[in-house]
Amino acid sequence: MGKKQGEQGAAWLSEKMSGQVDFEQRSLGSSDEIGLQYLSSLTNSDMINRYIVIPSYEMESLQAFENYIASFPGTVQAGERQQIIEFVLKGFVLISIGKSGYLFNAVKVESSGVGEAVNEAIVQGPRDAFSENIELNINLIRRRYQSETLKIDMLTVGKVSRTSVAILYDDERVDRQVLKEMKKRIENVKIDILQSAGELEKYISPERVRIFPTMIVTERPDRVVFNIAEGKVAVLINSNGFAILAPSIFSDFFTAMDDKIQVPMVGWFLKTIRYIGLLLTLTLPSLYVTFASYNPEILKIQISLLIAGSRAAVPYPSFMEVFLMLLMMEFLTEASLRLPKAIGPTATTVGGLILGQAATQAGLVSNIMIILVSAVAISNFIIPISMMGYTIRVIKYIMTLFAITFGLLGVVGSVVGLIMYLSGIRSFGRPYMKMYALEIKSKGGQ
Amino acid sequence: MVSSKYIYYLFLVNALMNIINFVPRVLIFTRFQGTLPSIFISTAIGALLLYGFTKGIAGFKGQGLPEIFNANLPRFFSFFLLIMYACFWFSAGIITMLSFVDITVRYISPDISPYAVIIGFLLLSAICCRLSSESILYGLETILFLSTPVIIYMLVKAFLNPNFSWDAVLQIVTYMWTKPKYVTVAGATFIFSGFFNLAIFNRNFKELKTRYLWTIPLFGLVILLITFVVPIGYQGTVGVENHVYSWFSTADSIRMELFIIERVLFLFYTIYLMISMLSTVVHWHVGLELFKGAFQSKSGKLPGKKADWWVLIPFSIATIVIMNFLNQVRLGQIGQWFLNIRLINEFVLLAILFYAKKRSAKKT
Repeated sequence: MGKKQGEQGAAWLSEKMSGQVDFEQRSLGSSDEIGLQYLSSLTNSDMINRYIVIPSYEMESLQAFENYIASFPGTVQAGERQQIIEFVLKGFVLISIGKSGYLFNAVKVESSGVGEAVNEAIVQGPRDAFSENIELNINLIRRRYQSETLKIDMLTVGKVSRTSVAILYDDERVDRQVLKEMKKRIENVKIDILQSAGELEKYISPERVRIFPTMIVTERPDRVVFNIAEGKVAVLINSNGFAILAPSIFSDFFTAMDDKIQVPMVGWFLKTIRYIGLLLTLTLPSLYVTFASYNPEILKIQISLLIAGSRAAVPYPSFMEVFLMLLMMEFLTEASLRLPKAIGPTATTVGGLILGQAATQAGLVSNIMIILVSAVAISNFIIPISMMGYTIRVIKYIMTLFAITFGLLGVVGSVVGLIMYLSGIRSFGRPYMKMYALEIKSKGGQ
Repeated sequence: MVSSKYIYYLFLVNALMNIINFVPRVLIFTRFQGTLPSIFISTAIGALLLYGFTKGIAGFKGQGLPEIFNANLPRFFSFFLLIMYACFWFSAGIITMLSFVDITVRYISPDISPYAVIIGFLLLSAICCRLSSESILYGLETILFLSTPVIIYMLVKAFLNPNFSWDAVLQIVTYMWTKPKYVTVAGATFIFSGFFNLAIFNRNFKELKTRYLWTIPLFGLVILLITFVVPIGYQGTVGVENHVYSWFSTADSIRMELFIIERVLFLFYTIYLMISMLSTVVHWHVGLELFKGAFQSKSGKLPGKKADWWVLIPFSIATIVIMNFLNQVRLGQIGQWFLNIRLINEFVLLAILFYAKKRSAKKT
């Protein structure tokens, strides 16, 4: 039974896998009676050489070779078509000898090179991060996405660097329009050197002043796999451990991979926390200016007195205080980022102790301001994708400027303006800010 | 293309911001002369307009008013009508803006120059109303999503207050059988006119699904009754007429004892600032698109994006000039005129729409 199916399976497999760049077919033997089919990105070529190719020329008869192959532990006789494709996608080699087929285990085990995700750390769940090798990165994704519908297109970008760029998508679920647009945009990139995903993201974004990222740059294979299954397009770049995901909308930037792992209620809670953090980091500095300088009567009398009392020694208006401290905080963040690990703690000590404690005692800033600045910084770091975090850091200053000029009106106006601006952005034709969850519920009404 | 739920948002934003556009004022002004019957009558009229307009415009799939008029009416006639309605929509936005400037200067920041406030308002509206209709609908959804819970909280807080005088409310109910007045009906129907924004937004609906349309009159009635009853419950049947912005005075009488902000007024102001900004953006967007539609070429091409400023800058300057001439009394009068003319105008619009529909049916 296995014999007949093995032969048919080989022809079927080559048809099914046609168009896959990493799919290889070889014929061995004096009259091509042995056929090999495998995915080069998943298999160990050394093993194939040593255990299949060389022995095939040394064996006396075809029967002997067949017995030799069948004797390997892990080798299976090819059966159902589905089984064949599953095994090939795992990294097995389909060997067809005459009319029978065998699946030979040649899985490439890449333990070295795959590091832990540092930028998008996670409590539970997979820890792998992309490496700097595109083959390995495709391997990482294939291992998690074992489906024949996962398609990979290879392109080259950069006149000098000739960097290979892979576009990954699920053939059945992908949005064709986005895929076409993505290919067109990547083909249109005219530069000499391409070294990182962030760079490519900049070049393929539509040219205009923009502040919000419309594509996620991630280092987590599990995020890429999750998004490919949602019908998005992923772009991998050789020599860089990051992938680009498009189209990405506002709420995607607030999704951590933890949310899937947690108990649903906890996941919801964490998501809510992030949006509250976003609101706080955006509005706290501007509200401080409003409450301290424009409308102290809004707050309860005790709180207003508290702020005024703590500001008693401060010799300049509230907005100077806010800008001074916010800038100091930015310097601290930037400094501790760039400093070598050995000196890193010094920055924290100097910043935390001297700026925090001494500045208030000297009367340069109020105590409440210190608390506020730390709250702003911490709630900014809650945002899971660092690109969005940077954007929010900038927006906060714009909002503070509006608060300085218009008071409470400026704060509310800039929130409305921000929401309208976000609603106007499109990521590959998809609206950036849309109440996603509500949309699903009302799909029947569409 | 967007789903049909956005029609309800268009209605909701208008219904919620009626407090700014002098609707409670006229309701309270005539409280002994037929406000209650007017509320019920205007619910019926509103429902009539609502069904008529949605039925009428649903016949033109994906078309806005400019396309419908230009294709089915004599060119000169449609040009004149579109310019008129554009001015009308712009003035709706302007009245909202001006009364909010008045409120801001009176309640929140007496030390900010009204010019600074109006310039801030104008900048926001002029920039935001140039977004695509679809984007404005998404923004609408998000802001309503954020503000409705707070509004509901404030309402619950208002009704649960032990100082809310139900006796005053009961007394006003005894004036049920008085003869209604046109001004009151005109004012009360304003809250239903949100769906007239479909004049432009209809372009974005693939198909108007109006299965839950009956909820709108129901909601409208509830909102009208709340608008009318709550200020009376707080300020008494007679005392209520002493306030220009009776709802803001009402909000100022409510305390949140355990929150960091004590006076509900500020919460109320913030939320209503958001909603009225949004409503201005929606009105100006419709006005702008109607204006551009008047200059649509024979081949159906609309003026480009740059032409927007030729409309927006004159209207912005006009707003500032008008503000210069108005005091609070005049502003109130103009707001009332606007409401009075609006009702007739809506019936005219409906009639023209049906005429256009007949013409287009004859053509095919």
